[in-house]
Amino acid sequence: MTVFHFLNCAALTFGPHVVYYSATPLSEYDTIGTCVKAAVVYLGTALVKLVCLATFLKVPENDNFDPYQELMKIFIGFIDVAGLYFALTQLTHRNISQNHKFQAVGLGWAFADSVLHRLAPLWIGARGLEFTWEYIFQGLEANANLVMTLSLAALGSLMWLRKNKPRTLVPIIYACALLLATMPSITSYLRRSLEWQTPRVVGFEFFSSLVMAFISWQLFSACQRTV
Amino acid sequence: MSSPPSGDVLAVLLLLLLACVEFGDAAAAVGVYRLIQYDLAGAPLGSRAASLNHHAAALPLPAGADLSRSALIAPLLDLPLAFIREYLAEKKHLGGLLILLPEKFNVKDATANNDGKGQVRGALAELEKLLLHEEVPYPVYFAFQDDNFDNLLADIRKIASSGQPASATTGGYKLVVSSPEPRKVSSPTISNIQGWLPGLKGEGDTEQLQTIAIVANYDTFGAAPALSVGSDSNGSGAVALLEIARLFSRLYSNPKTRGKYNLLFGLTSGGPYNYNGTNKWLRSFDQRVRESIDYAICLNSIGSWNNELWMHVSKPPENPYIKQIFEDFSDVSKQMGVSVGIKHKKINISNPRVAWEHEQFSRFRVTALTLSELSSPPEFLESTGGLYDTRESADAESVTRTVRLVSESLARHIYGLKGRDIDVFAENSSLAINPHYIQSWLDLLSRTPRVAPFLQKNDPFIAALKKELSEHTADVHVQSDVLDGMFTFYDATKANLNVYQVASVTFDLLFLLVLGSYLIVLFSFLVITTRGLDDLINIFRRPPSRKVKGA
Repeated sequence: MTVFHFLNCAALTFGPHVVYYSATPLSEYDTIGTCVKAAVVYLGTALVKLVCLATFLKVPENDNFDPYQELMKIFIGFIDVAGLYFALTQLTHRNISQNHKFQAVGLGWAFADSVLHRLAPLWIGARGLEFTWEYIFQGLEANANLVMTLSLAALGSLMWLRKNKPRTLVPIIYACALLLATMPSITSYLRRSLEWQTPRVVGFEFFSSLVMAFISWQLFSACQRTV
Repeated sequence: MSSPPSGDVLAVLLLLLLACVEFGDAAAAVGVYRLIQYDLAGAPLGSRAASLNHHAAALPLPAGADLSRSALIAPLLDLPLAFIREYLAEKKHLGGLLILLPEKFNVKDATANNDGKGQVRGALAELEKLLLHEEVPYPVYFAFQDDNFDNLLADIRKIASSGQPASATTGGYKLVVSSPEPRKVSSPTISNIQGWLPGLKGEGDTEQLQTIAIVANYDTFGAAPALSVGSDSNGSGAVALLEIARLFSRLYSNPKTRGKYNLLFGLTSGGPYNYNGTNKWLRSFDQRVRESIDYAICLNSIGSWNNELWMHVSKPPENPYIKQIFEDFSDVSKQMGVSVGIKHKKINISNPRVAWEHEQFSRFRVTALTLSELSSPPEFLESTGGLYDTRESADAESVTRTVRLVSESLARHIYGLKGRDIDVFAENSSLAINPHYIQSWLDLLSRTPRVAPFLQKNDPFIAALKKELSEHTADVHVQSDVLDGMFTFYDATKANLNVYQVASVTFDLLFLLVLGSYLIVLFSFLVITTRGLDDLINIFRRPPSRKVKGA
């Protein structure tokens, strides 16, 4: 029955990505190539991030929230954004519309993130006899992460791929992108300093990802209308 | 060209990944000790299985509970012996039994009522007696009760009280002990350690000096061999022997005070098995050496007596030798304010049961006696260092008293001080009995389980005893032999118990249902928002339209 649990949690963690791909027009336009390229870029970015973390961060002696370390982590988090920039602008994609490009890139990015961070713990942990809620929460986090990555990719494509944007919306776009980029730091702050329990943190992530997705959707359609 | 290498890499990766699989973590991992498994003259006794993988159940049992697929956890005092007896008698099968022993008595807790301790001791003795002489086809483990177990028991009772017994479909706790199949201990060795203090041979003496032997068995036997520390039986005897050896080695180190007797010290093994080791040890002696033994004093269970000690003999008390030895003891005991009684038990040569160590000497026609606090001979495999015989059941004062009694009497005999009011080992003298020595050795022995078949020839404990004896005596020799074929022992005495909290199958199915509906809803939502509702309906309508086309 524990393999059952593993399969359940794996479906929760990776299922939405597959569903997203097959449900939206992405599958019709066969954008799998873009997704794969985005995943590879994510791997490269993750490697660069690891090296930077190892070089610049000290091993924390106590569990307190050290603002300088967190600031460092935020800066290193911007490497993520740089990676997304690279994936969106520099790679040569097949002729697909703006609309679908950011979705494909976001999907590939989020899928790679889930696989890298969540597959190994799932494989090793969820198959044991002991039952914990941990892996279910991890799956929910993966879902929230997907939505957030898609929003970030949408805002990214707005920032770098669309030349004519309405003046008033530009600062909002950049603010939202900043917020999304620093989201991992925010969750770790909640977890460690305010000592929120895992269910609360996951709920917050879910809620905030939906809010950000809604905002990005509105921004995107507003920009689309002006064109 | 590139596919075979990548296939290999994949295989290696897969193997690596699979290798990480076995490290499942548990809610709790506890060290547990298995009931002894042994054969006596071919009859299988004790717990016959070691590995355990069942759901946990606790008393009081819910109605209609099927215990053959559950492991029962019970604290010692809550476990009614009648229940186990009934299970054993009717050969009903139990998945496993985990008995929780009360936490080791807090020695500083002097206010702990003696009633409670007595109750625990009584319950342990009865349980041990029952389990040692029965064949138990399922694994039986002992563990120490602590907060984790208390919480576990409370949880199990809560789940049970909700009406469903623990099984694979209702969740709960699973007890897993992954132990290899117990194997026979191939040739169980018993190691006897001996040391001599040679006496002073005068110029004119042509004959061999007489020898006085002091013997104690140091090994134990109990229901849980990994817990059999036998402080009183017979750790106390072994410690007393070491102290007596130390005292006399001081006397014998100076030729002016060396007595005209050789002293032989023997730490024997194989005590619980009819003193088999003592027999083999005596057999290994040259006959002349054996004949030179004037008498032997055996020490057994001298760690918890206050006023009365017993001297057990097999020769009738009227025998002049016995009379003289008894008088020596009585004189000293009167001075000390305690009493020594004499008990006579005839040996029956045809009966293989040897209840006291001196009986083995008597079979070789050597005068011997056993000093013990027990007034009657113990039954077979009783008083051999069982579960209740921990550090608290022996106290250093009793051992000190025994050492004083034996050494003063010996000194009077060796140096001919009869009738003179002299204290050879007086307090505050250089020959004073050292209570710290006794304490520290008693502590060490109470931490070392000493069941003979599980002590190899080169066990560090035997080496430690040998080293200690060689500090005080000369000619120290370890004689190893194989335990008689009547007993066969099996290993796997200790294991790790993992307690897992498991979810029921219904939970997994429910989760699958919820997950499936979530994914379907997500799918429909995405199709509707990106492609329109018509597309969603079209997905489900395709087969009929094709049919129409075909026709």
